[in-house]
Amino acid sequence: MSNTDTIVEVSNLDVTFQMDRGQSHVVRDVNLDVARNETLGIIGESGSGKSMLASSFLNAVIDPGVSTGKVMYHPEDGAPVSVLELSDSELDRFRWEEVAMVFQGAMSSFNPVTKIRTQFRETLQDHGRDIPAGMDRAHELLESVYLDPDRILDSYAHELSGGMKQRALIALSLLLEPDLLVLDEPTAALDLLMQRSIVTLLDELQTEYDLTLVFITHDLPLLTTLADRIAVMYAFNLTEIGTTDELLYNASHPYTRALLDATPDLNVPVDEMSIIKGSKPDPVDRISGCSYSPRCPIADDRCRSEEPPMMTVRDAHESACFYYDDAPDAVPISAAPDERPSSGRTTATEGRDN
Amino acid sequence: MRTDYLAKRVAQAALTFFVTVTLTFVLYRMMPGGPTEALRNVILQQQMGTGNTIDPARVERLVAQYTNLQSDAPMYKQYIQYMSSVFLEQDLGESLYEDASVTSLLAERIPWSMLISVYAMVIGYTVSIVLGAVMAFKEKSRFDSISSIVVIGLNSTPYYVAGILLIFFFSIRNEIFPTGGRVGLGVEEGFNILFMQSIAYHAALPVLSMSILGLGTALTMRGNAVRVLGEDYLRVAKLRGLRNSRIATQYVGRNAILPMYTQFMIGIAGVLSSSVIVEQIFSYPGVGLLVYDAIQVRNYPVLMGSLIVFTLVTIVAILIADLTYGFIDPRISSGGTDE
Amino acid sequence: MSSERSDDSDGLGDLFDADTDRETVPQTQRLKRQFDLYVAAPFRVAMTDWRAIVGTAIILMFVLMGTVGVWLVDKPTSGDAPVLEPPFQNPSYVLGTDTFGQPIGAQLIHATPDMFRMVFAGAVVSVGVAALVGVLSGFRRGSTLDTILMMITDIIITIPGLPLVIVLVAIFQPGNPYVIGVLLGLDNWPGLARTVRSQVLSIREESYVEASRIMGISTGTILRRDVIAQLMPYITVNSALASRRIIFESVGLYFLGILPFTTFNWGVMMNIAYEGNALNRPSMYHFLAFPLLTIFLMSFGLVLFSQGMDSVFNVRLRARHSATIDEGDSDS
Repeated sequence: MSNTDTIVEVSNLDVTFQMDRGQSHVVRDVNLDVARNETLGIIGESGSGKSMLASSFLNAVIDPGVSTGKVMYHPEDGAPVSVLELSDSELDRFRWEEVAMVFQGAMSSFNPVTKIRTQFRETLQDHGRDIPAGMDRAHELLESVYLDPDRILDSYAHELSGGMKQRALIALSLLLEPDLLVLDEPTAALDLLMQRSIVTLLDELQTEYDLTLVFITHDLPLLTTLADRIAVMYAFNLTEIGTTDELLYNASHPYTRALLDATPDLNVPVDEMSIIKGSKPDPVDRISGCSYSPRCPIADDRCRSEEPPMMTVRDAHESACFYYDDAPDAVPISAAPDERPSSGRTTATEGRDN
Repeated sequence: MRTDYLAKRVAQAALTFFVTVTLTFVLYRMMPGGPTEALRNVILQQQMGTGNTIDPARVERLVAQYTNLQSDAPMYKQYIQYMSSVFLEQDLGESLYEDASVTSLLAERIPWSMLISVYAMVIGYTVSIVLGAVMAFKEKSRFDSISSIVVIGLNSTPYYVAGILLIFFFSIRNEIFPTGGRVGLGVEEGFNILFMQSIAYHAALPVLSMSILGLGTALTMRGNAVRVLGEDYLRVAKLRGLRNSRIATQYVGRNAILPMYTQFMIGIAGVLSSSVIVEQIFSYPGVGLLVYDAIQVRNYPVLMGSLIVFTLVTIVAILIADLTYGFIDPRISSGGTDE
Repeated sequence: MSSERSDDSDGLGDLFDADTDRETVPQTQRLKRQFDLYVAAPFRVAMTDWRAIVGTAIILMFVLMGTVGVWLVDKPTSGDAPVLEPPFQNPSYVLGTDTFGQPIGAQLIHATPDMFRMVFAGAVVSVGVAALVGVLSGFRRGSTLDTILMMITDIIITIPGLPLVIVLVAIFQPGNPYVIGVLLGLDNWPGLARTVRSQVLSIREESYVEASRIMGISTGTILRRDVIAQLMPYITVNSALASRRIIFESVGLYFLGILPFTTFNWGVMMNIAYEGNALNRPSMYHFLAFPLLTIFLMSFGLVLFSQGMDSVFNVRLRARHSATIDEGDSDS
């Protein structure tokens, strides 16, 4: 990966919370590179640590969480920035100017008692930007997310619908021309139609504003329509990473395969749908060996005692499974490959939605 | 819908006032033996010195003059007569002792009581808001828990106990503040520094002891601020790299204080009622002391009048709170404060 | 497809069976479960909150004072002892004596039962009326009854309590502590009634109450079984606060001399001391100080208790359905 143009390099990242019953390790030794102008999807079930990983891109893990390790940000020009070592005032400037973030709580991401205009303006003001020029950009951004700029700016958050708020927030996140936009479940509270249109919108914005997107979700079908690469997270660490097609057709980690199998698909009868058996691991009590081994159908003694490192399956496709070669045969996916959520952007979900 | 809401509020306020005045009428009628019987002794005593003859008809006339009640007329006529004199003539009756109308007596005293009440509330709330906010920012710290205990302690101290302690320590043991009055003797009235200073000097202790009534709000403020600190928009504001001062005022401050606004306005009225006890302790000649003196001599017209005026102040305060809340909180402007 | 459906209905049958099983739980066991849920569990949680512990201890101390204390210590009469004995000198009147030679400690103790009578009457009236009005109006939301009840509530909430009580007291001169308590409780209920109403509304929204209604369980049963039980936290917390307010007001009125001096009362003691110029006479300091301290201690206990219970219940509520009940009716 290092020969391509990398925008963020995450190495040995840990996120920990100090709790009464011990230290809670919610991200464990993650290594990840994000290439400039790509769309990287991070998928995992709730509580897998994916939000914490995303927040670490801006060193914005909620209190009292602590990120340790290294997050290197490479600006287009200029020296790389070590995000976790920035001072508070440096962070204030780094956030939103280099990396912006839109997260789950979009429904309540705006101050309820001031107009949207004020919130655009104060962002410009506190970053020392030229306000008239900035507000022009705000108009342009709002238009490109298909909103009526004057109407939105003169509204209060409660006067907007969920979809409008989400799009306004995306516009706000691009106000200071960041290079990287981190989206943490940005579509979670929206209806299906709105989810689709936001995803299409993000695709357009990426081209228009030369963005790098990191998209976090637990919704695999949604991700496949948008992402160039997908990283799968399980139990606070990455288990597999590869291009979207590679992951869909050649998933080489039992967990990814189980995830694909569990993806709801309207064409599959309900009783044939499978769930992943077993329960999620605990962030405090660490188990030995592969963290997926208690739920894995092909786990053996080696898996239970030794932690598998990331191993190259093919090109940039890596899997943290000793048996990545056997996994495709050992963990079958009930739906035929072409019925599965597929990539291919444009034709993406047609098969299933109809 | 805004005008609907407005009209509804005003109508409700008017109804409340009407009911209160009716209540005073009912109270007069419910006096043991009726108002005539209840007032006769007081009037007899008071007329003794003037050498006037006292026949029953004259007592009736006097009762009517003092209370607006024609007790020999049929009940419904009495009621109409009573209500019309209050509403049409702003006549609350006459004091049994001073040769003055109840309206003028109250009008002279009300500004002084309002002065100390409003200042007490403003001080109590300001301290509460700052303290509550700091407690929330330092949630679960030593400062937080110690402040909580102090606030609970102050909250458990009746304001009159606070008044007694203040007068003891600052007027008697150390003669820093006066023990009574509202302005110094011989201070020229008017818009001059000395007069203002004297007012502030005399009002200081009453204000301080009543401000304790607003202190319980610190815990409410703390709760609100803790809630706002956990809101998504606060996290986004921090992520946006906004200045801390802006986050503290525009985000935490405004959102945490807003829900307390109505409480504050009603609180002013509540504090005003407590002036009956506080003004007696500090011999502060406001409405409270007027009421206190009226109780001592059973000066019923003054008591009834003050009940009407106290209610009126409350009604107006609540009305102002209701009508202005929409300007402060944009979410309400569409009307309907109901849960 | 058809085979699946039959499977499904079997499953449903099982569910119903399970439900009927639950219905036939014997009465005693259900009582025991209810007791555990509403009494024992909060109590166990309460014992982890220091405010609840200290508050309960202080209140218990006053209860002992008003029951056992009255029985142990003789009712004071004038001339029992030398006039104005300083405190902590003589073991038979530890807190000293007043200007009439009555032991102060004994007066404080003998004032307690009437205080409790007052608080009891006031709290019962205000909490009772509030619960009744709030529940009725919440359950009949939007009806004429609701409109009328809320209109009355809004009117009474507006009439300032203290001046009204003063006028009532001036006219009727009540001496009976129960009557005084009721008068003081009169202006206490509207705020609580509103809280109860909004609680009822939010409880009504909850699915299990909805379910009970659909299952044809009568409103009365739902009220008794679910709503009243859920409202207990609010009623407990508010009773404590109502009690504190009644103590504040009654002592204040006795202190002013507005209430007739028919019994021993902390406020009466304060009045006599204050009128006797105690603030300027060091030999009388204790006469004023001990009643002050007593009032403070009692209301401190009540406030701590209510704060403690509030957080205890909130913890329980939050654990059960986090974030469904938004506060915003934290009226004091």
